[in-house]
Amino acid sequence: MFFFTVRRLLSSIVVLFASSLAVFALCVASFDPLAPYRTRQPAPPPEFFANLREQLNLNEPFISRYFSWLGGVLTLDFGESNGGTAVGPQLLGRLGVTARMVIAAMVLAVILAIIVGVLTAVRQYKPEDYLFTFLTYVLIALPTFWFAALLKEFVAIQFNDLVGQQIFYTIGEQSPAIELIGTRSEIFWDRLGHLILPTISLAMLSFAAWSRFQRAAMLDVLNSDYIRLARAKGLQRRRVLVRHGLRNALIPLTTVVALNVGLIMGGAVVTETVFVWHGMGEYLIVSIGRSDLFPVLGWLLVAAFFVILFNLIADLLYAVLDPRIRLN
Amino acid sequence: MTTVEKAADKVAPPQTADPLHEQVEREFTVKARSQREQVFRRFVRNKQAMGGLILFLAILAICWIYPYFYRFGFNDLDATSRSVGPGTNGHVLGTEGLGRDLFANIMRGVQRSTLIILIAVALSLTIGLLVGLLAGYYGGWVDNVLMRLVDLILTVPGLVVLIVVASNFPNLRSATGIALILGLFGWLDLSRILRSQILGLREREFIEAAHALGASDIRIMFKHLVPNMLGSIIVWGTLAAATIVLAEATLTYLGFGVANDTSLGKLVSDGVSAASTRPWLFYYPGLMLVIIALCINLIGDGIRDAFDPSNKRVRA
Repeated sequence: MFFFTVRRLLSSIVVLFASSLAVFALCVASFDPLAPYRTRQPAPPPEFFANLREQLNLNEPFISRYFSWLGGVLTLDFGESNGGTAVGPQLLGRLGVTARMVIAAMVLAVILAIIVGVLTAVRQYKPEDYLFTFLTYVLIALPTFWFAALLKEFVAIQFNDLVGQQIFYTIGEQSPAIELIGTRSEIFWDRLGHLILPTISLAMLSFAAWSRFQRAAMLDVLNSDYIRLARAKGLQRRRVLVRHGLRNALIPLTTVVALNVGLIMGGAVVTETVFVWHGMGEYLIVSIGRSDLFPVLGWLLVAAFFVILFNLIADLLYAVLDPRIRLN
Repeated sequence: MTTVEKAADKVAPPQTADPLHEQVEREFTVKARSQREQVFRRFVRNKQAMGGLILFLAILAICWIYPYFYRFGFNDLDATSRSVGPGTNGHVLGTEGLGRDLFANIMRGVQRSTLIILIAVALSLTIGLLVGLLAGYYGGWVDNVLMRLVDLILTVPGLVVLIVVASNFPNLRSATGIALILGLFGWLDLSRILRSQILGLREREFIEAAHALGASDIRIMFKHLVPNMLGSIIVWGTLAAATIVLAEATLTYLGFGVANDTSLGKLVSDGVSAASTRPWLFYYPGLMLVIIALCINLIGDGIRDAFDPSNKRVRA
């Protein structure tokens, strides 16, 4: 297991470096750091652009620009945006905001997917199965932003009106400046209130597919010989389902959840836009709109880092849960 | 999937005019069905899939034919009724701020979205098929290079790659332009699926036989491998169509999709900003999109079950 871990870790690092090169190539081809000056009236003289190119190292060959950026990243310096603010602290702060939503959504989606998946598998071809199957099909067909807007405009606002009190917050990740005036518990409850709707809309994106997957895995296990043996030797149905069935049926789900991290991060961009969060997603959209090179680079690298990290976790977890993998 | 199975569920009816010995022989024979017939029969018997298919075809027929008979064109500005609700002044589903009829626009949007689906699926099918065939059939360094490339692209969230690429081409904001961008990045999962299938297929006897008979690589790929993977390709195509509809809507909502054109995604994203004041602009395009995506998914799952009834896999 030790050598397996080391081998997987090393190959993940190689993939991360390759990915950073690919990301750099994509962004350098996409964004022109001089773009904001090109549309200025009156047009700046050519010497100005020449100076700027020299100043931003744009005359250097691609590889040396890549390595100077990478060298900075290794010391956690992600460069500066067009406006001159450092990208690193911005990314870090916004990552904290987005992580709240992403982690909460993943936990919610996994728990719901397991419950619904197991329920529909155990009660296969019964009314509950058909109900939830229909529900998941509809959820898979829903665009995230439309569902989020539906929650926001018609569920949350009408519910708040009904109760006469703001339970669900629909804008922002917290009330403005609450961290300056509120006590610790006030901040917590305020942020929680802001978190509920975005989490639900983000979780529903993955929940539907995961619960179908969990249902299939559970059915696969329930129809296997060792379950029949466990029943035949007289174990209780509940014990067979949980100890022998569920434990094995959870293994495939770990991989799927880990591999969907990229999907969720993409979905978080959408959810943040709908609920006007000041997180990673907003940063990305705004930076792309300004064709701002380093913030987008930083964003993509952070995303790639987490995707690769979760792939690694999935591999290791799978090897722990299913020893056949590492003995091949 | 390669063998022709004999369906044993239906005994041919006895033919009274036949001589006796033939009748006795018939009693124990069953009518052979080709694989294609079996798949077709299984699909037709699947209620959900057939329901989805009929609804989908009905929507397409209405949206392509009815505009010729409808009183409002999708671009007509009705100055007398701007932002009116459903049923006012002959506007079945109401109008938006400039007085354009919503129903006419939804029909136009469905037309453009079908175009997007066709272009994007055709493009990514071509690329995915080529990459999958090359990687799976030749193996070795070709396989390594291509599959590592796929892995690399998959390390970045797909939506974000689409945004970055789309932001480069502000001139491609029409339905066809977005379809090209979606198609260029839609082939990754297909190439992986096909590669893994070829790895199994290329060791089989019929490929070896084709080799021994002197068939060229191209012939083996397109005459022997592709027909054997037709099921997976069709299933992928259907499910990809649903993904593309949703991806187009999301991209447009974020401001990097269809801009000076009509599409279902454009209508849905425009509707979101009007959700509280003019809810009909929010509900109807969104419902249309959901129904279309739902139908395509039902059809896709139906085709998959028809091709592979033993193994009810799900997508995740």
